[in-house]
Amino acid sequence: MKTFEEKWTAWLDGQLTGRELSEFEASLPDKAAAEAGKADARKLGELLKRELSARTLTNEEFFSHQLRERIARLRSPRRRPAWQARKRGSTWWTIPRLLWTGAMSLAVFLVFTVLVMHEKNPAEESPYLTQILNARVDPVTSPNATVSIFEVKKDRVTVLWTEGLQSLPADYAAK
Amino acid sequence: MQTEATPAQADVSELDLVRRCQAGDTEAFDELVSRYRIRVFSMIYNMVHNEQDTWDLAQDSFVKAWKSIKRFRGRSSFYTWIYRIVMNVTIDWLRKKQVKGGGVEFDDLTQLREVDPASKTVPKKEALPYETMERDEIRARIDKAIAQLSPEQRAVILMKEIEDMQYHEIAETLGCSIGTVMSRLFYARKKLQNLLRDVYENI
Repeated sequence: MKTFEEKWTAWLDGQLTGRELSEFEASLPDKAAAEAGKADARKLGELLKRELSARTLTNEEFFSHQLRERIARLRSPRRRPAWQARKRGSTWWTIPRLLWTGAMSLAVFLVFTVLVMHEKNPAEESPYLTQILNARVDPVTSPNATVSIFEVKKDRVTVLWTEGLQSLPADYAAK
Repeated sequence: MQTEATPAQADVSELDLVRRCQAGDTEAFDELVSRYRIRVFSMIYNMVHNEQDTWDLAQDSFVKAWKSIKRFRGRSSFYTWIYRIVMNVTIDWLRKKQVKGGGVEFDDLTQLREVDPASKTVPKKEALPYETMERDEIRARIDKAIAQLSPEQRAVILMKEIEDMQYHEIAETLGCSIGTVMSRLFYARKKLQNLLRDVYENI
């Protein structure tokens, strides 16, 4: 079932025939106005055809040339910069090199870490500090003085333990 | 529908050219472009009213056609197929432009070249300045009126009135029903009649 718009368009373009045409024309309330509308539509069509079909491409050959260039670029593989092109053959060497570099870096890091951790061991540091403190205690004023240091790992504290001191030396400063 | 083909070109059938294109022959595609470039350009220009945009859209349409030529099965004519691509590209562009700018601008009206069908046999008559001005004014009015139609209505009226395409060809090109084509044509004509009545009544 065609809508009015479809029938009207078909009627204007001469596409309605036979019974459909007679039925449509009979259904028009004002045949004269409809005919005027049809003439109007024809004039509009003629105007559009006359004015718009004259417009065209100004440089046909350049248009085709540009298009050929674009298609040629699509067809050829993308151009690489010269430095990339030179290195293209050595790709297989780059990956092992990367692996070796990575492994060597890891090994150096591990060795360095072990050495640093070893140096920071408090078991070695504590006697060293005790020795310094012992040297600073005056044996004349505090003949029975003893100084020791130990670490309580549970509480995460280092304890400086002193015994038999009459007084702390004035210039004492344990850092 | 007419193409730009000369008698020598017409010897090579369109289907042969398409098959060669599908095999990767760019010369065959060049031949097809030569046949349709003016019509495609003119059609796009009448929809977008700007020469540079028309150039770019026509280029994009042909590049898209080249990329998808292998999918052309020959169920429709090559002309309908290429027009479908052209319409998709142009309508998409118009929609994006309308969203961005809220309308279409008019320019480039004076840079267009006219093709006089009789120019090869009859010495060209130079138009008088006032005639040229009057014609430019009429074209500007037409462009402005067409710009007030939706992209789909523009496509339908131009394919019908300028290209003389049949309803079913337009429907195939736009991927819609014949009823939709007729309906869009109805509203496009009504609107243009209202906007351009004084123009076509006074010529």
